Amino acid sequence: MKNKSERYIPLVVSVGQVAIFPYYIIWLKQASITFTLFAWLFAAFSFTAALGYRIFQSKKNTSSFIPFIYMGMGSLYVLVSILSNSFEFLPYIALLIQVILGFLQGYYHAWHIERKAYRLHAVNHYLLVGSVMVVLSFVKILSPVIIISAFGGVLFMIGFGLAWVTQVTCIELDDVK
Amino acid sequence: MKLLPIKLQKHALHKNPWFLGLIVFMFSVWIVLNIPIEKRKYGLSQSNLTTDYTGLLPERIKGIVKAGDRTELQRIVKEANKNGHHISVAGLQHSQGGHTYYKDSVVLDMKTFNKVLEIDEQYKTVKVESGATWGDVQAAIQPYGLALKVTQSQSIFTIGGSLSVNAHGRDIRFGPMAGTVKEMTILTPTGEIKTVTRNDSEEWLKYVLGGYGLFGVILDVTLELTENEVYTIHTRVLNIKDYESYFSNLLRNDDTAMHYARVSVAPSTFLDEMYIIDYKKTGTQDNQTPLKEEHGARIGKMAIDLGRKGGSWEDLFWENQKLLIKSIDGDKITRNNAMRGNSAFMEYTKPSRVEVLQEFFIPVDQYEEYISDLKNMLPDNDKDDDFKIHNITVRYAPKDNYTGLNYAKEDMFGLVVLIQHGLQENEMDNAEAIIQKWTDLTLEYGGSYYLPYYHYQSKEQFQRSYPGWGKFHQEKLKRDPNGLFQNIFYNYYFIEGASHEK
Ligand SMILES: Cc1cc2nc3c(=O)[nH]c(=O)nc-3n(C[C@H](O)[C@H](O)[C@H](O)COP(=O)(O)OP(=O)(O)OC[C@H]3O[C@@H](n4cnc5c(N)ncnc54)[C@H](O)[C@@H]3O)c2cc1C
Repeated sequence: MKNKSERYIPLVVSVGQVAIFPYYIIWLKQASITFTLFAWLFAAFSFTAALGYRIFQSKKNTSSFIPFIYMGMGSLYVLVSILSNSFEFLPYIALLIQVILGFLQGYYHAWHIERKAYRLHAVNHYLLVGSVMVVLSFVKILSPVIIISAFGGVLFMIGFGLAWVTQVTCIELDDVK
Repeated sequence: MKLLPIKLQKHALHKNPWFLGLIVFMFSVWIVLNIPIEKRKYGLSQSNLTTDYTGLLPERIKGIVKAGDRTELQRIVKEANKNGHHISVAGLQHSQGGHTYYKDSVVLDMKTFNKVLEIDEQYKTVKVESGATWGDVQAAIQPYGLALKVTQSQSIFTIGGSLSVNAHGRDIRFGPMAGTVKEMTILTPTGEIKTVTRNDSEEWLKYVLGGYGLFGVILDVTLELTENEVYTIHTRVLNIKDYESYFSNLLRNDDTAMHYARVSVAPSTFLDEMYIIDYKKTGTQDNQTPLKEEHGARIGKMAIDLGRKGGSWEDLFWENQKLLIKSIDGDKITRNNAMRGNSAFMEYTKPSRVEVLQEFFIPVDQYEEYISDLKNMLPDNDKDDDFKIHNITVRYAPKDNYTGLNYAKEDMFGLVVLIQHGLQENEMDNAEAIIQKWTDLTLEYGGSYYLPYYHYQSKEQFQRSYPGWGKFHQEKLKRDPNGLFQNIFYNYYFIEGASHEK
């Protein structure tokens, strides 16, 4: 079970994140008033990604957090799609989202590259992203938020499912002991 | 403990989660402090539609001329007379009813015509080009310990734009702004450059001041000044019914130079409570204190944005304002700085909605009864309404005998109202209906309304508010026979009116 979840889910997560990236960028651009702020928000993302990455490396039992990382990223994407663009505090909320998202993605990435399937994923990842983007280019989407929220929902459900399965497996293992 | 070589320590630093966490925290705080305040987008444009401060009346114009040289301006006016082009005049375009442009007109952008020409310390006057802002003038006269007599409550407007609407502000001693003009150079609609004074038999000043750019271009002006005195701020919360007597006492005693007040629009004290801010004379002249710049606009904007939501947010905003004025009670401020109210924190950029100003003038002795009637007319809680009132400031507008289109036929209180509403047709109609009803009430009390703002009022209401409109129109036709100087404001009130009035 663990093998399968480590084989396919990270691929879905990585491909999905890249595929929604252009849509997320559009949202972020709308939320940031100037290009300078837009660039700062990216810088904040990068710094916190480094922090997430480092925290993963410095901890021991790190894999157990992965379902929650998925749930966290999923909820953030859903939040992005709910927030109205006319919201007065949007730039401040966008900063918060970038900081949390950066952390979660850094943490996730540090975990992902340590998986055995990572090398295999790399090739599939590029091929899949390419194909998904070609497909998306034919889909007439009214608003980027629909794509973002759909992916956020999927990510949340994956995280939730994984957390539940892990829980059940732990209980079963305890019983066996 | 074994010490690591410096190179290794450095290497370890950026891998330390605590260090990275600190960087992230500091960087995020720095971003929060530097997130720009979103500015509304408006202004002159040749490629897109031109608008003014509210963006409500987009229109295509023929061209923009950046004013630089008066003979060049004269040539443009003379040529336009020959080839039948229309000209409009624009300062900083804070007027809100298309006063600075007109369909297919050439717009003279006066912002670049902004030199302070001469300061006479002995006679306390300043000669300045009309595109300069009050802020520019203050910067020039402050080292001499001098200050302006009458300005708006902020210093962001051009001199030409302010004189053309005969603006008013916090001063209660020097009469209307028009009265502080000693001399003026104008470019008339027929292309003559004239220097005019109040005693001029042709009465140019009567029509150029408060003339909304319809009687030619103000080139430069000599303004009377006064001392840049230090004042003590005095603040107090009052009940509406005590204001009239409070103010007449204030006028009678000579110790207060400037004054304004705010009326509560918060549901729990709606049109019951108000606070006042007085600037009391100390007799000390100042030429040292620097001109204040706007600080804390971000926090101010956050607070005002919350208050704009109405309901209990508005209550909170009002309570907060009362705390704020208590905290400044007894502080000292120079006259120049008292005339430099903040403005950036007021930016309103919500898509599909607009924030507008309206100002109603009411005879000083009618204030209490008027507010009581207004209270019956307006809902005390507009949280769920489209039409929201966020602020009412009260200022004194003394009787004006200087201008043709005068809003203060006797001593008045001006109630400046900050309103937000939606831009859908039904929302615009609703705003118009409420403001027209409000104007009718004001007219019943012998009042009037201020013309630099958007024309929600009907042509008929304009004529009742400004009985001198007919003479003003006659003079316009006489002095500008080719109808050279045009703007949307003139077209609406003097020619076409609202679509249902045609
Ligand atoms: C946030 C805000 C606060 C305000 N507060 C106050 C206040 O406290 N008191 C008050 O009285 N008013 C107030 N007003 C209204 C303001 O005073 C007027 O709108 C004023 O005209 C703004 O100056 P401006 O430089 O933006 O002029 P513009 O809007 O550019 O022009 C106004 C009029 O002047 C004419 N004009 C401009 N320059 C010249 C020139 N050189 N020669 C001939 N005509 C010219 C234009 O054609 C136009 O008709 C406020 C407005 C805003 C938006």
